[in-house]
Amino acid sequence: MDPLLDLIGRLLPFDWLDPAFMRRALLGLILIAPACSAMGVQVVSFRMAFFSDAISHSAFTGVALGLILGIEPRLTMILFGVAIGCGVLILARKAELSTDTVIGVFFAAVVALGIVIVSARRGLTRYFEGILFGDILAINNGELWIILCISALVVAFQWVGYNRMLLLAMNQPLAHSRGVRPALWEMAYGVLLALLVTISLRAVGLLLVTALLVVPAATARNLARSASGLFWWSSVVAGVSAFLGLYLSYVWGSATGATVILVAVGLFMVSFGVRMAVK
Amino acid sequence: MKDPAITLENVTIELGGKPVIENVSAQIEKGMLTAIMGPNGAGKTTLLHAILGLRPYRGKISFGSFAGARRPRIGYVPQKVDLDRGSPITVCDFLISGLTTRPLWLGSRKPNKQECLQAAERVGVGSSFHTPIGKVSGGELQRVLLAQALLGNPEVLLLDEPAAAVDISGEAMFCELLQEVHNDLGLTTLLVTHDLSVVTTHAHYVLCVNRTLICAGTTEEVMTTENLNRVFSPHMNLFMKTHDHQSINHTKDHGPAA
Repeated sequence: MDPLLDLIGRLLPFDWLDPAFMRRALLGLILIAPACSAMGVQVVSFRMAFFSDAISHSAFTGVALGLILGIEPRLTMILFGVAIGCGVLILARKAELSTDTVIGVFFAAVVALGIVIVSARRGLTRYFEGILFGDILAINNGELWIILCISALVVAFQWVGYNRMLLLAMNQPLAHSRGVRPALWEMAYGVLLALLVTISLRAVGLLLVTALLVVPAATARNLARSASGLFWWSSVVAGVSAFLGLYLSYVWGSATGATVILVAVGLFMVSFGVRMAVK
Repeated sequence: MKDPAITLENVTIELGGKPVIENVSAQIEKGMLTAIMGPNGAGKTTLLHAILGLRPYRGKISFGSFAGARRPRIGYVPQKVDLDRGSPITVCDFLISGLTTRPLWLGSRKPNKQECLQAAERVGVGSSFHTPIGKVSGGELQRVLLAQALLGNPEVLLLDEPAAAVDISGEAMFCELLQEVHNDLGLTTLLVTHDLSVVTTHAHYVLCVNRTLICAGTTEEVMTTENLNRVFSPHMNLFMKTHDHQSINHTKDHGPAA
């Protein structure tokens, strides 16, 4: 990872990127934000923002379980998040309930369970500030490797699945007639999204992780004129938000994750203005 | 039946533990337009989904007429699609996404684009090729869906109430287009509908379904007052008074073009 960080230092010779932790933060954000925005294209198409919220809120319980069981909390957070994602998708298929209702039940369960565990075991609360608000400046090389792997998975998924997911979002039988297996692809997407969401908590925190999925994709809808444009605009908006957000958080001394999201929302407002002007 | 393309043998389909289709046995003639007719909730769409391979079923569905009795290439036209009206995805994007797995964000290859444009032009929506799919009219959308079903040289065309969401003139135009495509390509076509006018005007064969198979045969054989009363209700008398089965429009071509 160090050669990559050195390369960032040489390519972007800014004072504010001198500290190694700033370069690590930039690399982490530049990997996470476009990955989230790419998956966000489908989050918007499938209206899955609530799903992402449920996964991110499960992090509380995942970490608490890890601390109680004496297992690495980041591992239990990821595994618990993926398990909740799978649970939602399986139950939504099996039960004759709307997906929103199933997610609502899971959401309530994970948040309540997390609160019960944390309130019963005083002293755990200090672990949760980082999950709530994110702490990208404290990211280490090991975490960067994990982010790199998940980002590679996202690129691979979008390579083989972008067209398939577009068809699935429109009509499942139609997608099936074109050789897409709806259950398999939905599950693959859900698991990957759950992984990405839990990994992204380090960057922006659980309160804002859904924004990292939705806002760049929503901005792209205002600017793009095709499915290809939707993908690229979303990635560019996410990348620019990550870079500018990190810089502004350095200048202002503000929380990095929240500043990144504020920049993304600002770009959304600009794109909305552009769309209105073009109309 | 001379040359059945699809054979259903004692097909039973359950949803949530309750049978929606029970013991349906029927044959779909190759190269002909067969209508599956029945009231709402009769299980028509569910049966179509089973043929598509999307729903589990008991019994047997075979494709004897195709080489090696393999599942044929199927083109499918749904009743409606979940459209995001503000989405920038174009008609071109939609058609290409069904034709190739090369991701749209890498750009589309010229031959693929050309093939999709030809399919769009064939059904009369070539001028809307670069229009966002959420912005096309209901009638155009049905044509776009037909165009995507025709991509990849399908051998069987399944249509699930394709004109249910358009007005009467739009429905008539769509059915004429479907008839034209059917005559040109000689596809085995299975059309789910509860529109009796569409059946009498365009179908060669009819399967009447209301959870079980009520009757099956040529359109002339099936479209009788007695059969329609069995499938729908005695209110069908009203329809039959105005659509005497003897006056069934015979403009449809009984067989594919050579």
